[in-house]
Amino acid sequence: MQFRLEKRREPSKLMSYATPVAAVLLTMVLGAVIFSVIGYDGIGAVREIFLTPLTNSYKWQDLGVKAAPLIIIGVGLSIAYRANVWNIGAEGQYIVGGLAGTGIALLTWGMTGWWILPLMVLAGMLGGMAYASIPALLKTRLNVNEILTSLMLTYASVQLIYYLIRAPWKDPMGMGFPQTRLFSEAARLPTIIPGTIVHLGVPIAVLVGLVAWFIMSKSVFGYRMRVVGAAPHAARYGGFSENRTIWLAMLVSGGLAGLAGVLEVAGPFQRMVPGFPTNYGFTAIIVAFLGRLNPLGVIVAGVVLAITFVGGEVAQTTIGLPNAATGIFQAMMLFFLLAGDILIKYRLRRVMPQATAGTA
Amino acid sequence: MPHRLELTGITKAFPGVLANDNVSFSVRPGEIHALLGENGAGKSTLVKMIYGIMQPDAGEIRWDGAPVVVANPKAARKLGIGMVFQHFSLFEALTVLENIALGMDAKIPSRELEARIREVMTKYGLLLDPHRTVATLSVGERQRIEIVRALLLDPKLLIMDEPTSVLTPQEVAQLFEVLRKLAAQGCSILYISHKLHEIKALCDTATILRGGKLVDTCDPTQETSRSMAEKMIGAGLKDIVRAEGRSMGLPKLVVSRLSTKKTGHFEVPVDSISFTVRAGEIFGIAGVAGNGQNALLDALSGEILGDDKDAITIDGYGIGLLDTTGRRKRGLCAVPEERNGHAAVGDFSLSDNSILTARDRLGMVMMGLINSGAARTYTGKVIADFAVKALGPSSMAGSLSGGNLQKYIMGREILQKPSVLVVSQPTWGVDAGAAAAIHQALVDLAAAGSAIVVISQDLDELRALCDTLAVVNMGQLSPARPVAEVSIEEIGLLMGGVHGATEASHAIPA
Repeated sequence: MQFRLEKRREPSKLMSYATPVAAVLLTMVLGAVIFSVIGYDGIGAVREIFLTPLTNSYKWQDLGVKAAPLIIIGVGLSIAYRANVWNIGAEGQYIVGGLAGTGIALLTWGMTGWWILPLMVLAGMLGGMAYASIPALLKTRLNVNEILTSLMLTYASVQLIYYLIRAPWKDPMGMGFPQTRLFSEAARLPTIIPGTIVHLGVPIAVLVGLVAWFIMSKSVFGYRMRVVGAAPHAARYGGFSENRTIWLAMLVSGGLAGLAGVLEVAGPFQRMVPGFPTNYGFTAIIVAFLGRLNPLGVIVAGVVLAITFVGGEVAQTTIGLPNAATGIFQAMMLFFLLAGDILIKYRLRRVMPQATAGTA
Repeated sequence: MPHRLELTGITKAFPGVLANDNVSFSVRPGEIHALLGENGAGKSTLVKMIYGIMQPDAGEIRWDGAPVVVANPKAARKLGIGMVFQHFSLFEALTVLENIALGMDAKIPSRELEARIREVMTKYGLLLDPHRTVATLSVGERQRIEIVRALLLDPKLLIMDEPTSVLTPQEVAQLFEVLRKLAAQGCSILYISHKLHEIKALCDTATILRGGKLVDTCDPTQETSRSMAEKMIGAGLKDIVRAEGRSMGLPKLVVSRLSTKKTGHFEVPVDSISFTVRAGEIFGIAGVAGNGQNALLDALSGEILGDDKDAITIDGYGIGLLDTTGRRKRGLCAVPEERNGHAAVGDFSLSDNSILTARDRLGMVMMGLINSGAARTYTGKVIADFAVKALGPSSMAGSLSGGNLQKYIMGREILQKPSVLVVSQPTWGVDAGAAAAIHQALVDLAAAGSAIVVISQDLDELRALCDTLAVVNMGQLSPARPVAEVSIEEIGLLMGGVHGATEASHAIPA
């Protein structure tokens, strides 16, 4: 008995919802097998990583705080990827956004006023946009591949942090630690549920997802992104210039990554530290794909990935799993998802063995 | 003597459609047998099963009297079945010889292969220099490569899929010579076409399919083109109805010295083209594929922008610097040749495809938001008015057959009532019934005062449809002439243009 892939007449809607779920389930199964084989409690590892963060209500606030930046960046990336603009450097735009917010916080240090936080948010988004406009410029003017430029700029941005917190922005009272001083009260993101760490960024993330969903499905902007990604030639015929689309995609994804950066630095960190880059920008790529490049799906996917982060930390303490385990689970998820996507356009068909050729 | 090929009760089902329903016919040795039918009638499916690309669900294929299972094209070639596809699979940067060598199942030393190629060419009068690069060849010459490739295997049955759609009248005549010679030597030919006068001129027998079923097997010389067309579409054929005493209005679209830059390696740019189309006039542009038609359409639609505002004017207003959206707002709509991926997005619903070109002219956008209800209503109207076979506005464009998608695209533009419509190959690969409907819609649009430009390789279409005709060759346009005053030979010579001359100098002696 053999199986054959056969093209479907129309892409399967069912499969486009089923493959992300299947990817998560397969990740759990294979993860359990792998960690059992290398000598850990595999089933326990899967339970701690995927279930404990959900069953233990004390962990819910961690989920929200981890999911917020993943969702905000993931939404931006999902918009860019729809238009086939491959911004891989969200991590760099996140960092520059965080630095721009930090700059405002340090300039206004010691001051009070309601305008400081909005100004920081604005600066963060502009910072992310500015950093994303470098690959956009190179792509539209010189046709340089944006995957390479945006990725490489990420490493440059990390060095920028190190420079700034070691020299001009170094905390004068920090006893030589490479970090900025703690932001003053007016530059810190307020928590919205007293007694928890859930800050204003969490509802903002959900709002960003909802607004983006509305824009992508109802507006000409969203239509432009979808048509450029699906058929660039038809987009040109329909009056959507390719260069303008690249700019829009880069600015939106860069701006949202910058927003996530400034919310992180003003929320959980409250100062710029060397440990600020936490790979949210890279993980958000998985979030965007797991969420089917649909902003509503990205909200769900952001929570799923946040579960693996929080669960990974739990598993480190409870069953001594290495920190890299989280990364392995996340990578498996993306792998199974991309592999499973073939079932959206194709179906598996059983074929009976047949005589090869000739007369019977 | 047994039949060369005999099909009995061939049935093939796809999800949702019965592509072939109990089809039986047979082909004698040396017979030229036409396979006739509308788009979606099941011709391609049937041929694919004969050539081993697909397997029938039921029924029997007999070859020289013995039942066979054709598992794949290689097995088909082994039996002696050759096929020339509508779309060529050639590498433009390689020579004729290299292209043929790449397509052979068996490895043959290049010198021996060249000798065999020359032998086949001489035998059938196929003039071609094996050492020329494919990019420098006309479409007719490229087709000869494919024919030579098939003939090298000494086929006993040659399948030709719509072979004349890209040829000049002279090239068609040459092709028919070759096919008649082949038939005289005992090779059967299965000839797929929808050009009825060709079938009458060439074929001994015609099998007509409709909706997957066999309608009739007849002798085309005993039938009229009209009677065959009516069997094919299963209804009476409508003639193009023109309003009596029609007169042209003022010049509407004026193109003066329009040029484009050379973009791709093998793309032919537009070279200082000028012409005028009056209100109510249908202006035809004939020409062999690849002579700058694509660049001309893109330059007119606004996909390629020039630097002269007045190179294109509508009612005296220069639109040369406007993009496609700007030109549409000014009343110029266009339909490019390539349906899937250019005129329409296959992965989008028909409703979303309507937004692509109709959003501004029909008010489907308010403050940056799309009114999807308006798009759905308009798409429903296009589907109804142009008899598009689709489940509804939410059907994926890619799930429609080529002819139905073309009807939708033409309908989408025509119902916007543009004051200038530029179309390329409006009925390419579209069946007779649908083509007649599209032609009638174009004539009606012109009668309502629009200026229409039709770029096509189908001379019959241009002569039936247009008031004025010009020929494009190597990016240049011949002077325009009223269609009644030009003979088909004259057009053919203009179409041949430079190609004809180079061909003669490169040809090998027969």
